[in-house]
Amino acid sequence: MGGTTARVTVASPTLTSLVCVAAWAIPGAGHLWLGRWQKGVVFLVLLPLMFAIGLGLEGRLFPFEFSQPLVALAAAADLGMGLPYLVAKALSAGAGRVVAVSYEYGNAFLIVAGLLNMLVVLDAFDIAQGRK
Amino acid sequence: MTSHLGLMALFAFFVSATFATLMRDTPREQVRFGSQLFAGFVVGGVALGWVLYVLPL
Repeated sequence: MGGTTARVTVASPTLTSLVCVAAWAIPGAGHLWLGRWQKGVVFLVLLPLMFAIGLGLEGRLFPFEFSQPLVALAAAADLGMGLPYLVAKALSAGAGRVVAVSYEYGNAFLIVAGLLNMLVVLDAFDIAQGRK
Repeated sequence: MTSHLGLMALFAFFVSATFATLMRDTPREQVRFGSQLFAGFVVGGVALGWVLYVLPL
């Protein structure tokens, strides 16, 4: 009986950190770096598109106001999007229009896009650690 | 697009596609799991909407 042994490759802590930073900054970049092309391309397309739709729906990129904990949490979730978030902030996008019909939907798209990207970063971390 | 149902379906699509890609490894499994998630989100959302409709809030 011949058994097969899966070879697990574990990235160094430095490489793992770099992969996580890349995965945060550009959705899907961590998976692309680690050779998971199909997953990387899906994340690279879906998450920025979801974020852009959130901006298009006149959602708001929340500021870090620690006097209002829920607003600060929403800001942290938005920040999870990485570079698209920073670019949108630099372009003064995401001011949000409270009276817009789609305002709350826009917020949901923006916040959840950031949270999903955080999950993607964790997945990239697991892959880099040889757990997947 | 300002249709609540349409926006909810669009939101469900993005979330289910991302989860399916994260949690399954082959494209076939991803499509199957993603479709189940999407259907669950949409049907669940509509059902919850009707539950809230009859509640006197």
